[in-house]
Amino acid sequence: MQSTPTTTNMANQKEYTRKREGSSIAKIVVDRDLCIGAASCIAVSGETYELDNENKAVVTGSDAVDDATLIMSAESCPTKAILLFDKEGKQVFPK
Amino acid sequence: MDHFNYVIVGGGIAGVTAAETIRQNDPNGTIAIISDEPYFLYSRVMLSKPNFFLGKIPFDQVWLKTEQWYKDNKINYLGGKTAIRFDSASKKINLSDNTSIGYDKLLLAVGVNVRTLHIPGSDKKGIHYLRTLDDGKAIMEHIKTAKKAVVIGGGFIGFEMADLLKLAGMDTTMLLREHHFWDPTLDEGSAGMIERAMTDGGIKILKNAEIAEILGAENIQEIKLKDGTTIECDMLMCGIGVVNNIEWISKSGVTTGKGILANEYLETNIPDVYTAGDIAEYKDLLLEENTQMGNWVNGREQGRIAGLNMTGKHEAFRFVSFYTTQGFGVTIAFVGDVAPGADRTIIARGSPELKSYMRILVAHNEIEGATMINRTGEMSTIAKLIEKNINVSDKLKELADPNFSLKSLL
Repeated sequence: MQSTPTTTNMANQKEYTRKREGSSIAKIVVDRDLCIGAASCIAVSGETYELDNENKAVVTGSDAVDDATLIMSAESCPTKAILLFDKEGKQVFPK
Repeated sequence: MDHFNYVIVGGGIAGVTAAETIRQNDPNGTIAIISDEPYFLYSRVMLSKPNFFLGKIPFDQVWLKTEQWYKDNKINYLGGKTAIRFDSASKKINLSDNTSIGYDKLLLAVGVNVRTLHIPGSDKKGIHYLRTLDDGKAIMEHIKTAKKAVVIGGGFIGFEMADLLKLAGMDTTMLLREHHFWDPTLDEGSAGMIERAMTDGGIKILKNAEIAEILGAENIQEIKLKDGTTIECDMLMCGIGVVNNIEWISKSGVTTGKGILANEYLETNIPDVYTAGDIAEYKDLLLEENTQMGNWVNGREQGRIAGLNMTGKHEAFRFVSFYTTQGFGVTIAFVGDVAPGADRTIIARGSPELKSYMRILVAHNEIEGATMINRTGEMSTIAKLIEKNINVSDKLKELADPNFSLKSLL
């Protein structure tokens, strides 16, 4: 699976564009300062995430799963390091 | 006597995930969680992370569920209460405040307790263990004033706490009872990488060192080792393992081993009584043996499966567990079953010299587990190889080649 092009902003957050058909989530953000590599996101959706060699979650399949699974993967994070945004740029998780 | 359709003993990630799953599948059933801690769900794994202690992660990030969430999901949270007995015939739990609660389905997700020191002076102030948020708060408070720390125990907690204490500016010594770090789970090569990183980071490591006595007036001032060496310190951090407090559970007729025994559906031997999380000694379908795995992802997944099965589903727990950490510039990850065994062949991938080293444990032609230092990038792939029971008998040479793509085996 192709990795989505990413950008890293000032807050050390990596952003991944999501283009899955019918999805209301348009962007996945991983906060690398918050991420501790607990890998619970991978337990929920190994299709979406992997760890890199710095032990931080990276998105390898931003379109791989439906919205419910994606939200569950973000909710599973013990440090709330995964943020989800809709098409208007509004944060949908964490609320 | 109060009565609930679902009673969950334990308010950690396993118990709360079970409650959440039950609510998703049974909108009307009554649910109660009994917890000996007063807090709503918090991130237990964050408690040992330096970024959290040092304020880089805001304190409030520790809270994972709000009071409103429990209300919205109609989950009765009975915090600060301890279950002491249950009777499976009358389906009743007794609490330490002399009240009782009736249940239709019961989940025992009670977690494990920390092993504590029992040596002369072990009642002095300044000795810490880490299990609860209150333990974490006490450590946070103490590091503001402490100057010299000793960490006991070469495992995840010891490693993370040493990192934290050093970052907090303390003179830190680590005591290992064994002759290398994480013996026998890690080999000397892997342990050497971790020990070098810690030493380079300013930690003094003493091996084959066992504490005998804690000295001081009210507060700890010094520790004495079995060989007579003394070390001055005003803070002692212990990460020396866990104990399963399950006597009250086994007395009620639930079969126990090291933990609470369960089949792959997380059912105990008693009808309508389930278990999940660190305390569960469950039948692992992938490893084909009874296993107890104490980590966050395992607790969460087991809570979900137990919750589903309590609402009448029949889903087996089938999951490759993993745990990772980082500190002193190294990353460490364990996947699957990493316990050494005579029947396991260990394949080295990378090397300590390359500062990137994995040990792949193979048995019965399949990968059972792996330990990885600075190779967490391959963790997901290894987990998938274990999960899919890929036969690797003719690929051992490739596994040992750090440039060979493990993904190509999937």
